[in-house]
Amino acid sequence: MIYVYAITDRPDSPLPAETGLGGSLLNIPYRDIAAVVSSLTTSQVPATENNLWAHETVVEGLVLDRAVLPLRFGTVFPDRVAVEASLSEHYADFTASLERVRGRVELGLRVLWKDDVGHGQEGGPSSVMSQDSASGSGRAYLLSRLEQDRRIQTWRQRGEALAAEINAPLAGLSVEHTQQVLTTHRLLLTAAYLVRREDLTAFQRQVEAVSVAYPALSFLCTGPWPPYSFVTTTLQTEERTNVNARN
Amino acid sequence: MSSVRWNEREVTILELLDRVLDKGVILFGDLTISVADVDLIYVALKVLLTSVETAERMRRTATGELIAPPANPSPHRQA
Repeated sequence: MIYVYAITDRPDSPLPAETGLGGSLLNIPYRDIAAVVSSLTTSQVPATENNLWAHETVVEGLVLDRAVLPLRFGTVFPDRVAVEASLSEHYADFTASLERVRGRVELGLRVLWKDDVGHGQEGGPSSVMSQDSASGSGRAYLLSRLEQDRRIQTWRQRGEALAAEINAPLAGLSVEHTQQVLTTHRLLLTAAYLVRREDLTAFQRQVEAVSVAYPALSFLCTGPWPPYSFVTTTLQTEERTNVNARN
Repeated sequence: MSSVRWNEREVTILELLDRVLDKGVILFGDLTISVADVDLIYVALKVLLTSVETAERMRRTATGELIAPPANPSPHRQA
């Protein structure tokens, strides 16, 4: 079995000395790209913390000197021919994606309300959740439901406006970004930014500056990461739609 | 003093999970994570999300407004 870590634009470059999840790393070249792989004796790779870091460590080693499309953890092919076939099949998609991420890294940002001001105070959903239980009539119940919906909507709009304010200067220093607003009551913003290597320091300074401007919010920043969030292919967009439909 | 927490352990693990299990290129080889496992992992992610919030609240309670020094779980990442 062959475990695949990433697709790169350097089929001939030497590979890091890491052993990853199996044996030594190998390039499986196809035209001007390559899959970075190692052989596995098993066909199952449990998603343990050590294994996840092993995958990540290999990818991080590659990012230092080449353009890299990190693969999702757990991709195993039966043999070399199958890997080559996959490279051939997706070649156009891969070369376009490699161009998109070349010289760029990903930064992760989560912004949380420090205390319960995000949802416990007036206007937050938890302050209105308990109001509808003791309603005496159907009309009172419906009115309280309407009021509750209105307040949740106002609270969400406020959160979205705040997230947009925080995001704007950071988006300005990045090439692309993804964001989710209010995934939970306290988690105001979850974002990933694709940043040119030469802009990394400026971007990190900007995160500091924004955090100072919003003392009620907590800023958690990670990275630089390989560009996991910016290699989504058409196939993945379809899959994500299915996942969302399932939830 | 910095008010941003960079590459803290709990957050970095959460972000790692979010990336290596939910992002990245999917190739249709023999994916070893079954659909059932992925569902479990989504549940784990939600638990982790909650734990980040809890850790944050506990830390703030314990330290007042103090910001913990950055812990760097991955020796490969400098920020």
